[in-house]
This record gives sequence, structure tokens and C-alpha cells, in this order.
Amino acid sequence: MTYLLGWSVIPQIVVRRERWPGGYKTRGTPLVYPGQEVQSDQPVIRLYKTEKVEALDTTPRLVLPSVSMPAGAGGGNRDYGYAGNGNGLAGDTVPAGLVGRVVDITGRGGVVIESRVAAVEGTLGAGNQVAGVLTMWRSHAVATAVIPPGAILVVPGPLNFTMLRQALSSGIVGIVASSISLRDLEGFLQTDLISLLNSEDMELAQAHLPPLTLLFTEGLGTIAMPARTVNLLSRYQGSVALLAGATSVRQGLFPELLISLPLKEVQRDWQPVQPETALEVDASVRICSGEHEGAIGEIEYLFSHEQVFASGIHARAARIRLEDGSRVVVPLTLLERIG
Amino acid sequence: MQTLSHVEGGPKPASSQKPTVINSILVADCGTVFTKVSLFGLVEGQFRLMARGEAPTTAAPPQGDITKGIVQAIENIEFVTGRRFISQGHIITPEEADGDGVDIFITTISAGGPIRLMVLGAVSPALEELADQAVSGLYAETHPLAAPSYAAHSQPSASSGNTAAPQAANASPWTPERTALEWERQLERIREIQPQAALIVGLADGPAGPHPLQEACQLLLNMTKERAEKGVPQAGKRISVVYAGAPQYVEAVRHMLGNAAEVIRVEPLISQAQLGSTSTAINNLYNAEVIQRIPGYNTLQSWFSSTPVATATSLSSLVRFLAQHYAMNVTAVDVGGATTTVMFAGEQGEFMPVVHSGVGVGPNVGEILQQVGFQRIARWLPFDITEEELREYVLNCMLHPHVTPAQMRELQIAQAFAREAISVALEEGRRHKFAWPDTDLILATGGIFAHTARNGQAALILLDSLQPKGVTSLVLDRTMLVSQLGAVATVAPVAAVQVNENDAVTHRLGTCVIPFGNLPSGQVALRVGIEYHNGRQLSVDVMSGSIEVIPLRLNEQALLTLYPAPTVDVGLGPGERARAAEEIDGGLIGLIIDARGRPLVLPEERRERQARLLQWMQVLGG
Repeated sequence: MTYLLGWSVIPQIVVRRERWPGGYKTRGTPLVYPGQEVQSDQPVIRLYKTEKVEALDTTPRLVLPSVSMPAGAGGGNRDYGYAGNGNGLAGDTVPAGLVGRVVDITGRGGVVIESRVAAVEGTLGAGNQVAGVLTMWRSHAVATAVIPPGAILVVPGPLNFTMLRQALSSGIVGIVASSISLRDLEGFLQTDLISLLNSEDMELAQAHLPPLTLLFTEGLGTIAMPARTVNLLSRYQGSVALLAGATSVRQGLFPELLISLPLKEVQRDWQPVQPETALEVDASVRICSGEHEGAIGEIEYLFSHEQVFASGIHARAARIRLEDGSRVVVPLTLLERIG
Repeated sequence: MQTLSHVEGGPKPASSQKPTVINSILVADCGTVFTKVSLFGLVEGQFRLMARGEAPTTAAPPQGDITKGIVQAIENIEFVTGRRFISQGHIITPEEADGDGVDIFITTISAGGPIRLMVLGAVSPALEELADQAVSGLYAETHPLAAPSYAAHSQPSASSGNTAAPQAANASPWTPERTALEWERQLERIREIQPQAALIVGLADGPAGPHPLQEACQLLLNMTKERAEKGVPQAGKRISVVYAGAPQYVEAVRHMLGNAAEVIRVEPLISQAQLGSTSTAINNLYNAEVIQRIPGYNTLQSWFSSTPVATATSLSSLVRFLAQHYAMNVTAVDVGGATTTVMFAGEQGEFMPVVHSGVGVGPNVGEILQQVGFQRIARWLPFDITEEELREYVLNCMLHPHVTPAQMRELQIAQAFAREAISVALEEGRRHKFAWPDTDLILATGGIFAHTARNGQAALILLDSLQPKGVTSLVLDRTMLVSQLGAVATVAPVAAVQVNENDAVTHRLGTCVIPFGNLPSGQVALRVGIEYHNGRQLSVDVMSGSIEVIPLRLNEQALLTLYPAPTVDVGLGPGERARAAEEIDGGLIGLIIDARGRPLVLPEERRERQARLLQWMQVLGG
């Protein structure tokens, strides 16, 4: 996987994102206009409560002997309820989630906001876009921990099914964690994850998921969150963030967390980071598969000739100096540049 | 990056025109996961493969430009050859006096995914089958949706009590509620499919009359309206419709669809005779809707010496050439990250292509598991594996399709999926009533084969999945050239032939003898007599259920005599001795005798099956 923004963690970058809470057959009315500056807690969309399908009588027909179309054909007269998640019920307003400038309004009523953000891209996730206050999970003693409702909780380690169920009942809108087992994730989502990742229509696919948006920085398994990611998220604890969990291999969608940078960080000479993706000596990389999956290090040497690996395969390779000082030789195809 | 001296897509400068003398060719094959570039040049008057490079395909973000991956792959070639091919982000063409640049640059593309095509109207099973056949050699997925009125007349309602097969004349019409539900179901299906184009079929001569055509248009209008309301990326764009229905209603269809669709009329699809026009129209749509929308296509177009070709089309040209040139039946297998292709070309001109766009060993590996299930994958593994581990492998593969299996366990799992990918493609072919005939040459290409650690692994994948019978040869395309050469042939046919003979099909694994029929369990199935050039003779008894490899090196030949058991056939009838009229060729593995039986049945007991798999791998050097 190549991160959509280039790296998994980008401390400062300019992005344009449509603020849209998702929800199958949801409609919204924008409350702002292009060019307007918005704050993260400012309402930008009002959601429709219901939707009715227009009758077909007004649509053109073939010039043929008359054909009586069945009543309600083309969708019927059913009402469609709002199927959003915990970021607001139908009729409620949706906060911007980002500080920035409105640049466009989409056909469905979404609002495109341009913002200077710190971005974290995950490997795997699920759930609609939500905005919440970034809250670091300091203790695994669930009974004593205080979790503010409407928060986006950051757990620097692996999650399990029990923790997800507790999170769901606590009123938080999203979780950013390092990893989870496949069984626990599918058990919580009650869906086949392979089918979910293969979906063409993410809104349809996510319509029946639990109303809790998830982002896993490391993916499946028990890998802990890298320190650089934890440090960045800790730095912005208490800030409003925008979290999107939708993951689709077909559509090239991956989960992301965006945190608008505070005003004091956005100086006059502020420059966004330009992520370089080429694998070169001294580049920071993450090993994305195999024996050292999740390990982070720097490229120390790039071999000119293909190396042979335990599988017998010959591949172009690099020697990586890991964070613990050890060195490993891995195929280039296992490396993701992260800095 | 500095800008070009001419407008992208505009008139090319004279130096970009096709040269009269071709001394060098650069070919890029842009797959879903990897981009492969090959450099062909003249060596002692013959075109040869000079160098090749490979890099991840960069059509998706963050690069979002397919040319960047091509440039990266070319830079590998520059490193190897010391020549420059890129200047200011563009191909240097023609070749210069100092050796920099190339005379011709060609691209084949399989990135971008298949075109998703709804088949609408009076979609009978026969028409559905014809639509499938029309796209069998293309990167296309068909999704049939018979119009509600057609379905209503084809399926008697339950309330009528008529449970017989379609009896249109006596069928009771659907109730309005049933019809409304069917409309909603179809709209829901369209939302799931997210189609890029539509094919309307039906002659309006059935009990439903022209209503299915009308309803097909209605569905398209509803879809367009909903997209506009949702503000999806396709909103505002006219959907392309191939109209292969009743000719008297084509103008009415155009009128009804109005500005919502661009209607392309082709011959009414009635039988196989009309497949060509439908297939051509869909192929053109694929070029327009998929290839030309790949990010970076405009830049790529300015580099072209000729129009980019779909990789499957290029491969089919080469396969048909091989069959005719060498007067033999050829089966080609290409297992890619997102697509699996199996093509048969006969020496008499027969051609059966199956391009299964949803199945591959990279991002689409999940589709294989969904289709065949855990057991069919696990049966190929010589070790225990849980379903959860396999699903985790699949998910990691989908999320990280570039990953090279560095551990043997991962490699064997990948190869198990490759077997089932080929099997799924063959099953797709059988659904189109393709009867896969015996083949003289099996050609394997694609990343999974090019990067196999040992030749024996590739041989075993082919024998396990294709299950050939009789006598055949296995050839491995380690340099992934065969899918490029068809496109090369369109501009430099001599070069294509020479590279094919000198470099593309050189990894000959060996001749395979596969006895079939009733192989006596625990007994000798076949005695093989071989006479080498130096006069040495060898006789080998091959037991039923086993694989044997008899030494016969590359470029070595020998005379072969086969003595099958009374109930065993090697192509001339049960028990009939066979002596090859000509010498057979050796290969990198040797002479392979696969006496495991056809169809191949693996032992049911897990430990025995795993032991057998390991034994077969070891015999073949896998």
C-alpha cells in the first residue's frame, strides 16, 4: 500500500476534504458558502430527516403504444430514513471538523473545506466520517477511565472485541488504535471484511455497520502504534479532529485522521511538507509485511543486484537499520516510506 | 519538471513521428500492481531483449500519474545500460547517435480495472450468454439485469399456481407490489455495481413487446438522476450505451435517453454471428472509459508511437501467432494482480480467450477466496493453516499488493491462490461452453510465474490447475515479454518475431507426459523408454499417483517411447504403445511424467495430502 498522501504521518499539509457524514440516502443542506472561513465546531450542513422518491409520471417515455407503468415503479413511495452514525441525527447540524476555508459545495450537500492539517493515514478502518475531540486513552482500566461522549479516542495499542463494545456504549464517535485481530474486527462489524474492502459503493456497504468509526494505523494483528504517531496525536490532544474510516481497495480509499493545525503553528512562512515516496538511503521506512511487519527504520543501503530470500525468490532489496539498532535485509516491495 | 516544447495532446513534433528505420523499441506494460518496461535492440542483426525494468504502477495517489511508474522502470534500464531514455520527463525519441533514446515507444495497459457493463432489456439466458461471450477476451464485467416486464412474463407469479417453466402465454402478470419491488431491487443492484456503461439487448418480439427496452432506458434515467442528486463523481457525465436491440426502436431509445446517455448502435445481438460488432463497441468503450481516464494518460499519449493496447489484446495476438507459426495448439496463462487470463489458440485458427477481470493474486485475491472457499485453497498447502490465517493473508495482500513473499509459507499460499485463479478462469470458459482441447504448448506469464523461486513450482502450478493430458510442453515467460510482443508486432512485426524466438519463450521447462484413463492404484501406470543422442537408453517405470522427472536438459533431444498399462491412455487409446515420430525436447526441469491421474484427485486425509504435495514439489525441484 502506498499512502494516499505519501506518508502515514504528515505533520503539516494542505488538504481539501468534503465534509460529509455519510449515511445511505442521506441528504443535506449546506449552511456555508464557498469562500467562507469556518471553525471546526461550526455547523456547516443540516441533514434531511427523510427522503421521498419522485413519481415517474414526469419522466420521458418511448414513443410507443401506451404502456401503463406499475404504480410506484422506479423506487416506490417508500420513505428513506437517515442512516448516519453518531455524528448527528437527521435534522441535526454537522460541524465542520476542520478549520479552514470552504472551497466548494457538492451535489449531495457536502461542503469541501481546505485546511492546513496534521494527517495520519491508517492501514485499515471502517465507518463514516465523524468529527470529535481527540482524547488519548491513558489507562486500560476501563471501569475507572472517563471518556467524554463525542470524542475520538486514541488507543496506542491493539484493540479487542470487548473494548470495541464498551466504546460503542460510551458515546464516543471514533477510535484510532494500532491494530486488531481479524476475528475481533469482523465480530464487531458483523460483516465480511474482504467483501467490505471490495465494495464499489462504500455508503451502501457501510450502511449497516455499528456507529463507531475506526482507524487502525498498523492493520491486523497485535502491533503497537509507532512512537512517532503517538507523539503527534498526544501533541494535539483536546483538538477537534476529522476521522474517516472508509476503506476500499476497489476505490482506493483508506482511513485518515485530519487535525487542523492551531493558529500559532500556521506561521506566515509556514510550508507544507512535500512527502517524498522514493526509496533512497536515509529514508524512514516501515516494513509492511513478513517477519518484521510493523518495524520502522532507515534505509542504510540499497543493493544493486537482486538478493535471495528465504522463499527462494530473488528481489531487489535494501538493508534497514531498525529503531532498536538491529539490521535486516528486506525486499524493496515490503517497504513503505514514512518520512 | 520542465514543460514540453509542444502542447500535450497537440500535434507532435516531427521527431515524435514513427521513424522509417527502427533500431530500438521500448515497451511498457502497465499492470494493476507493477509496470514492466523492456528495451529491444539489434544484436548482430536480430532484435533481442537488451534490458528490462520494473516499478510499482503509479496510477493511484499519491503519485496519481501512470507515467511516473513508467519513468521509474525506465530508470532501472538506464542504470543497467548506461543509456538515457528520459529527458525532462519525456521519452527521447528517436534514438540518437550516442545511443540515447529509442525509435519506438509502445504501451500495453491492464491497469484501471475492467469496464463494468450492465446488460439491460429483454435479457434472456441466451442473450446473457452471448453478452458474456462478447466480452470474454476483454477487460469487462457484465452484470445482467432483465427488465421487470421481461422477468414478469418469463416467470409466472406464484399466486397463479403455475410452477412450470416459463410459459409466457399463460403466465399471470406480476402484481404492482411485486413489480415495484423488482424495480427497487434493480436500482439497488445498480448502486452496488456502479456501472460505467450499458448494453441494451432484446428484439421486442417476445410477450413483453418493447417494454423491456423502455424499462432499460427508465433504469438508466433513474440511475443518472440519482447520481446527480448524490453528487457522485460520475454525475453530469453521459453514460455510454451500446444498443444491440430491436433496430426499429433505436431512435425511440435515443429520444428517451436524451442527454443522459450516448447511444452507440451495433448489430442486434441475436447469435454468435453478431458478437464481433458488440465486442468491438465494448472494446472501444473500454478504451474511452477506462484507459483514457487513467491519471497521466494525456502525458503518456504524447509519448506514443502508436495507440496503447490492452494487455489482453496484445497477448491474444501473440498466442494466435504462435499457434499458426508453429502449427500447434497453444494455451497461454497470465496470472496478474487483478486479472487472470487463459487463452487457447489452435493451429486451425480456433481461438478461445477468457479474461477474468475480477480474479488475481494481488488486490483481487479476495475474490478468489470468495468464489472457491477456504478448502480449495488450503488443499494445495503442505502445511496446516486456519481459515483466519488465510483470510489475514488475503487482507494483507489486498492492502499491500506489491509485497513479495519473502518467506516460503507466504510463497506457497500465493501459489495456491494462483492455481485457483487459473481454475476459476477455466470454469468461466466452460460456462461459455468452451471445451478446452488438448494443447501442445502451455505458456505461462505474469508476476507469480516470473518471480517463482524455482522452475518446478511453476510447472506444478500449471499441471495442477490446467490438468493437461497426453503430451505437452511447458514454457515459462520469466521476463514477462509475451504480453508485450503482440503490441510490438503492430509496429515492428519482425522485431516481435525475433524477440519471441530469441528471448521470450526460452525458459522451456520441459516436455510433459500425462497419462490418463484408469490408472491402477499402487501399480506401474506407464513405462517410459528414452533414447539419447549418444545412444544411451533409459527405462523408467512410473507408479500411479506419482510424478517422475527424467533427465533431459535444455537444448537436448531424445526419442521417446511410452508403454502405458492396459487401462492407461497417453493419447492413442488405452494400453496403446506410443513412439514419438520426432525427438522430444528437454528443458530446465527435464522430461516430466505426471501419472497422478486426470482429473487430479488429492488425498482426502490431511497428512497424506500434505506429504504427497511435498513429495511432488521435491521431485520437480520446487
